Amino acid sequence: MTSPSERNLLIAVDASENSKKAVDYVGRLLGGVGGDFHITLLHLILEPDADYFPSKEEHQIWIDQKRKESMTLLESYRDALIAYGFEGDHIRVLTPIRFCPSISECILEQKDMLEYGTIVVGRKGLSPKEEILLGSVSSRLVKLARNCTVWVVNA
Amino acid sequence: MIHELPSQELLRELCKPWLASLSPQHVFRVYTDTSDFYAIEYGDILLLNHRLYLVRHNAKEGRFGLDDEVKFWVKRVIDLQDGVTRIAKLVFFERFTANIGGIPFECFRSPRKEARILDLVKGHPHFMQGSWVTDDHDNVVRIIDVIYGQSLAAMIEDIHLDHETYFHQRLPEILDHYIACVEAIAFLHQHGEKHGDIRRDHILVDRDSGRYRWIDFDFNFLHRENMFGYDLFGLGNVLIYIVGKGDILIQALRDTNPSAFARLNAEDVNIVFNNRVANLRKIFPYIQEPLNAILLRFSKGNTVFYDDVGQFLSDLREARALFQNTANVRRSP
Repeated sequence: MTSPSERNLLIAVDASENSKKAVDYVGRLLGGVGGDFHITLLHLILEPDADYFPSKEEHQIWIDQKRKESMTLLESYRDALIAYGFEGDHIRVLTPIRFCPSISECILEQKDMLEYGTIVVGRKGLSPKEEILLGSVSSRLVKLARNCTVWVVNA
Repeated sequence: MIHELPSQELLRELCKPWLASLSPQHVFRVYTDTSDFYAIEYGDILLLNHRLYLVRHNAKEGRFGLDDEVKFWVKRVIDLQDGVTRIAKLVFFERFTANIGGIPFECFRSPRKEARILDLVKGHPHFMQGSWVTDDHDNVVRIIDVIYGQSLAAMIEDIHLDHETYFHQRLPEILDHYIACVEAIAFLHQHGEKHGDIRRDHILVDRDSGRYRWIDFDFNFLHRENMFGYDLFGLGNVLIYIVGKGDILIQALRDTNPSAFARLNAEDVNIVFNNRVANLRKIFPYIQEPLNAILLRFSKGNTVFYDDVGQFLSDLREARALFQNTANVRRSP
């Protein structure tokens, strides 16, 4: 028997191919099987330092543009899940704008706020030099996550 | 903002000690808005937060043997309140994509970040010191105290010893100073700030105190998962430079030390800069294993990375402890 929160899945995505594969994986695995699963598609809009923008107007244009792109992206993932058999009212989308020192920590904060039992992310397959310079979201999620399961879908 | 501008007579009087090369007919232009930094020249005056600064010349930055690049937004100034030479860093908005080892980084200059860090590190002996003000156009102008001394890179270049002598006689003390610098970066990270541009020419060896001090915190970039990853990588590169007494370049090694070159394999080079040797023990066998193991964390063959500066620092302290020599480091008073 699973608890309600264990049937809440948080899929953290971006526009990459590995995110699309993570969504497809969840769709193939759980779509149409029933079980009252609730999915949240999370796309963090990563806000830079204020100095990144030459003016407040450019900052606002950036936010509007990113929100639009994010909603388009999440709607496409939502449609894909519906096509796999999920009910539309069991899928929500979130696009918070956040300054994230660490993306994985921002994802975990969302998990804690909304009580998800499972986090799903795609694995990018970084090269060693990418890992040393950029850091790996999935590796760190696995390391830091407490009281939840992390699925890392291999792209 | 309405300012009462100082008279030409007053300015002439205040600037007299520094004006030998200016014409007696010189008319002082007083800037309260520094946006057009190209227009601000030798002999002009900045009026910032009720304080007057006489502009001298633009700063230059040289690196890797290239001609010095003039930084028009960085002015040497005389603070007319106390007569001290300082550096005024004006606001230059710059955004570009840097390619580091084939990985694109979206970079930008961030005066606010530098201002935040100046506040954070006030009184810290291992950072440049200064304050900041906003001008009439809300530009964040940083007023920096000059550090007199060489860069770490230049200091090491000027050591005319063979590597083994350098390693035993000079490196322990250099490592002590460097460890203090790494501790300073750990302090920044603990406070949620990254340096952003860690390089061997961004450490100055203070001629007065002998301390190593970080400069230039205005560089910023859009990070991904690990906000501090690039800083940590920079620290590793500086360490490799210090231990190697300069970069050990593959091409040069092939000519100067063919037997050492023959011992190298593909994994022994720097993880990003593949023309530099990271596994220095293969060239200099007296480098102790623990110190070399740190260098290997930044080599192409490595798969286990430091998560944070604390881990790097801990290994570095252990490696330093294995040196026989006791360094004669001038400590903080």
